[in-house]
Amino acid sequence: MLDVGALGAWFSDAANWTGRYGLVNLLGEHLWLTFVSIALASLIAVPLGLFIGHTGRGEVFVIGLGSLSRAIPTMGLLFALVLLLGVEFRELSVVLALAVIALPPLIAGAYSGVASIPPSIRDSATAQGMTAWQLVRHVELPLASPSIIGGFRIAFIQVVSTVVLAPLVGLGGLGFGIIQGLALRNFAQVTASSLVIIALTITGELLLGYWQRRAADRLGIPTNLEKP
Amino acid sequence: MEWFIANWSFIAGLAWTHLSISIPPIILGSVIAIVMARVIPTRFVTPTRTILGAIYAIPSLALFVVLPAVLGTKFIGPTNVIIALTIYAITSMYFSARDAFRQVPVATMTTSRALGMNSRQMFVHVELPLAVPGLIAGLRVVAASTISIASIGAVVGVRNLGYLFIDGFQRKIPEEIISGLVAISVIALALDAGLWLLGRAMTPWRNAKVARA
Repeated sequence: MLDVGALGAWFSDAANWTGRYGLVNLLGEHLWLTFVSIALASLIAVPLGLFIGHTGRGEVFVIGLGSLSRAIPTMGLLFALVLLLGVEFRELSVVLALAVIALPPLIAGAYSGVASIPPSIRDSATAQGMTAWQLVRHVELPLASPSIIGGFRIAFIQVVSTVVLAPLVGLGGLGFGIIQGLALRNFAQVTASSLVIIALTITGELLLGYWQRRAADRLGIPTNLEKP
Repeated sequence: MEWFIANWSFIAGLAWTHLSISIPPIILGSVIAIVMARVIPTRFVTPTRTILGAIYAIPSLALFVVLPAVLGTKFIGPTNVIIALTIYAITSMYFSARDAFRQVPVATMTTSRALGMNSRQMFVHVELPLAVPGLIAGLRVVAASTISIASIGAVVGVRNLGYLFIDGFQRKIPEEIISGLVAISVIALALDAGLWLLGRAMTPWRNAKVARA
């Protein structure tokens, strides 16, 4: 059962907070890997999703990508990509692998945001003399924003979970405490690390969910937060 | 491909463990989620949604190793993995099940009541069959993601197809990792096709148009 004493002792030991493998450093590394790879993926995914939603071309591709990404384990994808891209540039390969994992939800979010806009709204924008670019910039992008944020929320969940496995390919991040703790049978460290990871992911999920709801409220459209 | 053929029986063994660890959570989690979708009153739906959404966000490895602290189970081994996969199945299936039941038209329910059915008959003969398409859609998502997440169990000592990822990486055999990816995708696709067929068999009225013509 939960050994509160051992857990408290682990958290109150300053040695577990500082240094290369201290919580502060590992947390920073975890967040850095997550943000860089999602940012990198969004540079491609959001414009692509908007384009597919705007033109209606390649919708089958989005749907297929969605179900494919659910069935392929992110762990295998991470390991395979790191091994194939090369272990010499470990950090770069991990970021690229994580970006690949972030692509499908980001594309789907941007796409479905645009696709769910009623045709009458787009028609009236065109009737007012808007160019295609103005339509995308001033109508489709703002109306799709809650769904785009929803895409970021799912990408965050996927990537932040996969970063937990980064120590298995030789990087750090908060998963280090779990992997090392299991190997050394230091279970206080395992439990403490997983609690920090859980706190981090739930905070991120709630913040992004709140942001998504606020964006939807501002537009007066109902949010479909039901499906995670 | 050569690696796959040379290690065929090894992979089959891992696939068997993989299935035996994934199927019980898929069934158990779905049943619990369907019951929850039926019994949780409307005013508790929003908090339930928030809590399940938060649980869904927890990385699987973290959930695997935090369970021993809560339940007193052993850190290494299949127990935590099965429990965690069941929890994930519930979080995903709950939303699908609620949607599936809400899609049943109110008029149909009123009609069956007017025909003199009691609540149990209405549920078994009207509501449940009409919710089948939605429930099957939810089950397909649960099946694919459970099969996929189960591979992370290899990190806590469950020798399933995820073991091919860890071993393949350590021994630098890309073919081994790719064999694992392919095997998992094949299992996921087979389950998906099976569930689709099951859904069709359970809703014969949906493809009755051809017979009528």
